[in-house]
Amino acid sequence: MTPYSRPASLPETLFLLAQGQPLLLAGGTDVYPATQAQWLTRPVIDISAVPELHGITRGPDGLRIGAGTTWAAIAAAALPPACNALQQAAQEVGGRQIQNAGTIGGNLCNASPAADGVPPLLVLDAVIELASPRGLRRVALADFLTGPRQTLRAADEVMVAVIVPDAALSGASHFVKLGARAYLVISIAMVAVRLLVVAGRVQQAALAVGACSAVARRLPGAEQALLGLAPQETAAAIDAAQVAAALAPLDDLRATAVYRAEAAAELLRRALATLAQDHAG
Amino acid sequence: MSDSERKTEPVSKRRRNFLIGSAMTGVVPVIGWAGQAQATTQAAPVDARAALNVALRVNGRLHQVQVDARMTLLDALREEIGLTGAKKGCDHGQCGACTVLVDGRRELACLTLAVAAQGREVVTIEGLAAPDGTLHPMQEAFVAQDAFQCGYCTPGQILSAISCVHEGHATSPDQVREYMSGNLCRCAAYPNIVAAVLQASQQMGD
Repeated sequence: MTPYSRPASLPETLFLLAQGQPLLLAGGTDVYPATQAQWLTRPVIDISAVPELHGITRGPDGLRIGAGTTWAAIAAAALPPACNALQQAAQEVGGRQIQNAGTIGGNLCNASPAADGVPPLLVLDAVIELASPRGLRRVALADFLTGPRQTLRAADEVMVAVIVPDAALSGASHFVKLGARAYLVISIAMVAVRLLVVAGRVQQAALAVGACSAVARRLPGAEQALLGLAPQETAAAIDAAQVAAALAPLDDLRATAVYRAEAAAELLRRALATLAQDHAG
Repeated sequence: MSDSERKTEPVSKRRRNFLIGSAMTGVVPVIGWAGQAQATTQAAPVDARAALNVALRVNGRLHQVQVDARMTLLDALREEIGLTGAKKGCDHGQCGACTVLVDGRRELACLTLAVAAQGREVVTIEGLAAPDGTLHPMQEAFVAQDAFQCGYCTPGQILSAISCVHEGHATSPDQVREYMSGNLCRCAAYPNIVAAVLQASQQMGD
């Protein structure tokens, strides 16, 4: 195959992907910085012009976001309040130039533990759709991400879309990111929180924390503790010890494990307090 | 990335020349899903170092250049076309010094392949002033507000700022700071840059 190809359809992409071990290039914002080498040994398939990977649509199975959708497009889309966290994250991924190029599918396939797109999609119970010569398959995002920079994507598969089921599009969500400065930083910790409040009581709660474990995680124990509370009571119900135990955070150059555990709990409280304010207002 | 990809024996002036093994595998057709595969590319051994003819439209002029398939747009602009206004600061998408407009949107030339820019309209700092030398309102505003010190980041700042205004993200100082956050200024001329963007925003009329 040629060193660079720019397929114009999904079948053509799969055809090319089945030859050798090409590198899939979407927005290109992670591929080059992750490359220490002067040379890559693999041919590049530029999937930015594949129409099947673009667009945000509401269909029978929920909200469908094409894997090639840029962060700028996600931030500008008209989405329900449950997607507020995703749209807030979209505006914190790098600067605007990165948001114009970087895609949601690239963010998920690169599988950085600090990927800003992951916690907002975890609280939306997102499902990944993958295409290969064998057909289409769907995998829950929580299962798709298996470790730092590791996913269930097979070498001949391309991510087509991220699907948010209708049931998870209820309520409202909020995203909070902690970095060493306000802009252009890799997260030390970030959280996404989604609450469905019915008759003044929390009926559904979804909490996710990123950059504090090998793979961003939901916190089922902490979620359970919020059910039935008034929104204003939720922030105080976050138990820092429980959060730390669920995350088992790591020391790295950006923060220590102890700091991360405290930060994660505090960010969860702040996100919940923000959502509670919206309900009070 | 495998270890073999980190090896850097061959000598080149560019960071992102890529060597492709010349023994790629054969064709594996896609059968039985989504109809007939419509591949336009044949699986034939290809030397990635062989120069490709690429037509790039930059500042309204068409440039025919011969590039490695995976040379960045930034290298093509600077080394092949001779437009050195777009700066190579970090070459990693972190500093914004290489910002250019591609089809009217601000993008980082260091993260864009030259070959992927074919058929798209690229605007660099050299393409902003009128033929008679009249500066773009954003250039005027940067001069008027003294919005630079060493000037290295300025071409990227100005192109980013023009996009910022066109996007409608230049309505307040805070908004300008947020939407100009992809352009770093080592001299920290930020207060003057914000003032320049706000001034030009009024003059640009959108």
